[in-house]
Amino acid sequence: MFDLEQSIADWRKQMLAAGIKSPVPLEELEIHLREEIERQVKSGLSEQEFFNSAVQKIGQAHMIQNEFKKVEATKEDRNWKFVENLFAVVTSLFSLFLCGMVIFKMGSFSEATSSQQTSCLVGIGTFALLAWGGRLSCRMFPVVRARQIRDAICVSGGALLMLWWMVFVHIILPRHDFTTGKLLVTILWVMIVPCGIFLGLSWGIEAAARKKVAMTGS
Amino acid sequence: MSFDFGSLAEFGMERELFLWRAIFPLDIHIKSMYRVPMIRKELVAASAEPLILSLLAKGESYGYAIIQEVKARSGGKMNWTDGMLYPVLHRMERRGLIKARWAESETGRKRKYYSLKKDGKAAMARHHEQWSLVHSVLAGLKKEQYV
Repeated sequence: MFDLEQSIADWRKQMLAAGIKSPVPLEELEIHLREEIERQVKSGLSEQEFFNSAVQKIGQAHMIQNEFKKVEATKEDRNWKFVENLFAVVTSLFSLFLCGMVIFKMGSFSEATSSQQTSCLVGIGTFALLAWGGRLSCRMFPVVRARQIRDAICVSGGALLMLWWMVFVHIILPRHDFTTGKLLVTILWVMIVPCGIFLGLSWGIEAAARKKVAMTGS
Repeated sequence: MSFDFGSLAEFGMERELFLWRAIFPLDIHIKSMYRVPMIRKELVAASAEPLILSLLAKGESYGYAIIQEVKARSGGKMNWTDGMLYPVLHRMERRGLIKARWAESETGRKRKYYSLKKDGKAAMARHHEQWSLVHSVLAGLKKEQYV
């Protein structure tokens, strides 16, 4: 004996298995299915026939899910844009803040000579250029389609940077006797500039991949 | 007579059609009027957004009703796979063209009603302009063929 409610429950399971989320949009699809069945009741077919026909009309679960995935992708694009903007604001604020400290000789920068000041400013400029350079020249970056590989590159780059900072602070720095001004210049060039390289590389790789995906739509 | 001609053709009775054509060598435009093949899926996909926007411009509606109306207005020639409408609606909602609300129908059934937003109206106007342009180019070229 054909059980309509049981068949609908089975259909729901198929949809869930294909990755269609509940309650939205599965709820909406189920309402649609029920309306279609209700309408067909009037056509005089058997319950099983109109259930099958309504299911067929609504389409295959994996095809619908593919379309919903594209909707998710546009949401992800928007999130990425937000991250990019945030990133641009943070790096520029950071650079401006450092520039302000150098120019107005705030904190320990009061002990820096004018040539050290200039060197610091050039260092900050290099940092900003390197960080944004990745984004601006993302067309020249290789396209890494697999997200895991991109993440792996990013994480290992970050780890490498951290390692370099530790080596510098704990091993190299204690062996030298710097004046405050020299110390500041060294920290800027040895710690902040590599940070710019790391940020630029990760940003460039991510942007290149996303641009490619957006163009091919896959 | 032309009606019979059309309904025969619609059922794909090619042999009968051939006979009709032999008996009544009517001009071709009757055939072209009544025997529009199913719209290709690429065209159906491309026209989904302008059709939905234009339908919602008349007032809020829900998925099932939208499909029924498009089907009726196209004489069943625009075949949407029903489930495929919902991703389109959700994408348009995300893009801020339409908005949705859950409500109960008069029969007590829960439904998600969609309605047009301001950006949706602007998008609809753009679609209309573009489709009119394509149509006028096509119509102009067709006219020239018969001159």
